[in-house]
Amino acid sequence: MAGRAAKQGRSNPNTGNPGKRGPVGQDEEEQPLQAVLIADSFNRRFFPISKDQPRALLPLANVAMIDYTLEFLTAAGVQETFVFLCWMSSKIKEHLQKSKWCQPTSSNTVHIITSELYRPWGCAADADAKTLVRSDFLLVCGDVVSNIDITPALQEHRNRRKREKNISVMTMIFKESSPGHRSRCQEDDIIVAVDSKTNRVLHYQKTLGLKKLQFPMNIFHNGSNEIEIRYDLLDCHISICSPQVAELFTDNFDYQTRNDFVRGLLVNEEILGNQIHFHVMGEQYGARVSNLLMYDAVSSDVVRRWVYPLTPEMNFTDEEGQACTHSRRNVYRGADVSLGHGSQMVENVLIGRGTIIGSNCQISNSVIGNNCTIGDNVILDRAYIWNNVSIANDSNITQCVLCDHVEVKQGVTLNQHCVLAFNVVVGPNLTLPEGTVVSMHHPDEEEEEDDEDEFLSDDAGVNNDPLKTKTKGYSSAEVGSEGKGYIWRTANLSEAEEDELSQGLWGLTVNPDPESESESEVSEDSQEQDSRAASPELDDVNVFQVEVMGTLQRGMEESIGCDNLVLEINSLKYAYNITLKEVMQILTKVVLEFPIQQQGQELKSSQYSPLLVPLLKRWTPVFKNYVKRAQDHMDCLAAIEEFFLERVALWAAMVKVLMAFYQQEILAEEAILRWFSQGVTSDKSKLLRKNQGVQKFIQWLEEAEDESSEEDGK
Amino acid sequence: MELQAVVMAAGGGSRMMDLTYSMPKPLLPVGNKPLIWYPLNLLERIGFEEVIVITTKEVQKQMHIDTKMKLEMVCIQEDADMGTADALRHIQQKIKTDILVVSCDLITDVALHEVVDLFRAHDATLSMLMSKTHEFTETVPGQKGKKKTGEQRDFVGVDSSGKRLLFMANEADLDEELVIKKSIMRKHPRMHIKTGLVDAHLYCLKKSVVDFLADNKSITSIRGELIPYLVRKQFSASTNSQKTKNDSEKNQKKMDLKTPDIHISSKDEDLLDLAREKSCWNDHRGDMSDAYHGGKLRCYVHIMEDGMCYRVNTLAAYIEANRLAPKVFSEELPVHPTAEISEQSMVGADSIIGAACHVSEKSSIKRSTIGASSCIKEKVKITNSIIMNGVTIEDGCSIQGSVICNQAVIGRGADIKYCLVGSGQCIEAEAERNNEVIVSTDQLMEI
Repeated sequence: MAGRAAKQGRSNPNTGNPGKRGPVGQDEEEQPLQAVLIADSFNRRFFPISKDQPRALLPLANVAMIDYTLEFLTAAGVQETFVFLCWMSSKIKEHLQKSKWCQPTSSNTVHIITSELYRPWGCAADADAKTLVRSDFLLVCGDVVSNIDITPALQEHRNRRKREKNISVMTMIFKESSPGHRSRCQEDDIIVAVDSKTNRVLHYQKTLGLKKLQFPMNIFHNGSNEIEIRYDLLDCHISICSPQVAELFTDNFDYQTRNDFVRGLLVNEEILGNQIHFHVMGEQYGARVSNLLMYDAVSSDVVRRWVYPLTPEMNFTDEEGQACTHSRRNVYRGADVSLGHGSQMVENVLIGRGTIIGSNCQISNSVIGNNCTIGDNVILDRAYIWNNVSIANDSNITQCVLCDHVEVKQGVTLNQHCVLAFNVVVGPNLTLPEGTVVSMHHPDEEEEEDDEDEFLSDDAGVNNDPLKTKTKGYSSAEVGSEGKGYIWRTANLSEAEEDELSQGLWGLTVNPDPESESESEVSEDSQEQDSRAASPELDDVNVFQVEVMGTLQRGMEESIGCDNLVLEINSLKYAYNITLKEVMQILTKVVLEFPIQQQGQELKSSQYSPLLVPLLKRWTPVFKNYVKRAQDHMDCLAAIEEFFLERVALWAAMVKVLMAFYQQEILAEEAILRWFSQGVTSDKSKLLRKNQGVQKFIQWLEEAEDESSEEDGK
Repeated sequence: MELQAVVMAAGGGSRMMDLTYSMPKPLLPVGNKPLIWYPLNLLERIGFEEVIVITTKEVQKQMHIDTKMKLEMVCIQEDADMGTADALRHIQQKIKTDILVVSCDLITDVALHEVVDLFRAHDATLSMLMSKTHEFTETVPGQKGKKKTGEQRDFVGVDSSGKRLLFMANEADLDEELVIKKSIMRKHPRMHIKTGLVDAHLYCLKKSVVDFLADNKSITSIRGELIPYLVRKQFSASTNSQKTKNDSEKNQKKMDLKTPDIHISSKDEDLLDLAREKSCWNDHRGDMSDAYHGGKLRCYVHIMEDGMCYRVNTLAAYIEANRLAPKVFSEELPVHPTAEISEQSMVGADSIIGAACHVSEKSSIKRSTIGASSCIKEKVKITNSIIMNGVTIEDGCSIQGSVICNQAVIGRGADIKYCLVGSGQCIEAEAERNNEVIVSTDQLMEI
């Protein structure tokens, strides 16, 4: 704490020209350090908990998360903090006004701004619009827990800005943490490519769900031949920004999140000339509580004193009655805690003021809030119990979150990753399966309220299940005979989705199933070998076919002109050394297969031709380019025949196809007639020619020819 | 015998045809020594006593190298179009231990033990040598204007220690993006991607790799196919999982495998495994898994920070090597005792004069190499040039920055600047040539 005071004293409070953006230059140093704190997550990760309490106020080791962030900012020497509020702004406002930050003695002046722009990071734009920030400022979210000494990073940032004016707009703070560390949740896993000499960030990407990491080549062309790819970094979500950042947000209102912003800047670097740098912290702590998994990790880190000096017994919020004692094995006890006979606090336990614990309980790695009542023979492990919770005898709770005023009746077992939101009652004698979320809010409420905001619904798109008819009674099977609450969004969803949801709240597990990964690696490998073993000739033709397919698909999507398609196909032809005959056959085959590829195998012949004919019309010039000589016509027809021979179900459509080819003047009538009379190769192809439609078509053609020849004769 | 040394000297030198047309690459004179002398010398210095040289009949006939080592020459057909891996496969019977493969065009003063130590310390499958790319400063004959950017760059990924080789790709094989598997990043969270490195074509390889080559005939080139394959293979599961299998299972597995797979094992394997298990040493930090993450196949690279390392595979490199190599490897007198040098000529200390040369009066030779049995007449000025064997240079010539090949005759008073004169060529008297490649016409046809 003393160190913090010294740090605060360092920067010289000089508020020369408030309200205006100061001249960028020498007196930048003397500007007081400012910070923008965004006290909103702009997502529903903590639903249903954050339905009743904004995320910033959720207690983490019995202290609201926003207090950690503010304490961090103050310790970093920030003298002016702008707190932007959106969701439940009044609650946060109330909290802040009571807190020490709004006392006149606070060295960090906190301004509360309720943002009208309800969009993530609109706040930054807001900050610009209101010309609040005058110099480099710190940008953090309201759920960051950190004890980082920002000074070296700030100094680096300022030096960089002095050296090259206004090039570097942002310095991101990362913490070193190897893959598999528990404070790394997969969701926020990032991969960063940096220039190791200049600390410049060249590429920034979230890796969630990616198996292969891709780096655009242009990052290797910037002259540096020492590029480092780092996967051992944890984004602390703390950044030092130049005032330009706020401007950039105003200009590019499509940047929704910081992630967008960073990626946007990196992609447009050449145009805008803005660079992002990074600073890596080795020893210090910084993490963002982005989901419950992180909540679990950060809570236990706080209790285990990794975030020193932000430890529970410090009572840095200076709130009365929050003081607690710290004893061996990281056991913290608040005032008036009573512990029954034979109860054990094994290790890493924090118990808030006024809590009463019965006898023969076993508590480890848990946080218990204020004024809770816990019965006898209760086992708690990695339980996060907030205020005024009562737990009856013989309960067993593992890695769960119990919000304020929750009541757990006798004999309840909560398995891992259960969440009981505010005021829920469960039990007695009930076992909740892993990942159960119980809330007083009925899942259907969702649709009725807060539809006004589009950004919120990003995460909530799943709840459109047809549950509206469900009665609003509590199901005793779900929450027990005396229970109150609804299972949050689980009722009608398939198992897979259910998993997804519980992940939604808890975050993905830190270690993905290693088994599955190695398996896929094996298969990948064997594929590799297979392709090696296959004869190259066959390969080329197949690859060519796939490429042509891709080209045409792209042609459809991006409506590329036929000339360009021909060019692309020609270049493919040369690349794979394909003869002209094969090109045409493959092209025909691919086009004929196109509707099937798009619609699936079960396509009926009646659906087939309406899909195909427009395609044929569209790509007629492509065909014309390849079908020129008489032999080409025959080859094309042979390819059509081959296609239909394989798909007896589509025979009825063949006449339409031939008609289209004829009408588009791709195929000449003589060719078709010749094919009909001569091209018989097998019994099946004879059968094909006896098809009623084809017969009729040929007849029609013959008649037409007679007519035309008669006309010619005249 | 821990390592068997193999020198690859059957390459045609396709990137410097003007030079290699008349003389095979291993025999090109660099500082009046055949090119192949340099890798052999490197091996000799570190204490090798036997070397297998893979070469062609032609080279074998003409090669006269003074070395204490026992050279075992293996000839391969010139027209067989064999790659380096084919050549290794060819000599598989002779390979009894792990091998050290060197290309005949490597001139380096590397402390070779660095590479071998990596191989030993990590029980590696492959360890190789790389060095920083050199900028060639000398003007290259026949190359007008700015030097081409040359070959496409290699991307080499190494871990934070800079030794473990994690990734390798050539720019030519990449489209828009460089793709790295996440599983690699998980094991080695910090990867340095280096560009601007050249592969010295010096590899330590496990014997099992040679056996693998024998089984897998589709690989033809060491650098082009085998090395990238090994680097990739480090992180694929099939090799890693093999560790856990018992011997009985292993045999069965071998039967099942359709495609030949690489089996990395050494005879002290159990002991090594035990040692690793008992030791608290680990090759990485961050996660809690075993050393090397249980992987058996490991590739390492030693990257030379300073010192000399050239691959003489282009004309530019050849000229540069001629300029620098004698300075590093000069044990002998710069002027051969049998050379006849007139009192009134000027021969700079930075020049080398070969055996039975004749330098007449009033000639001056600076920063140049004169091959054996060449004859320099009066008033000739030679600077920054390479004159090969049996060249005759008539009176009053001026030669600057050029390469004159065997048996060429330069006519009286010719002025030659930055040219390459092919073997047996005659330059007429008083000719003025600048920045040209002068070779016989049938040679041109060939190219």
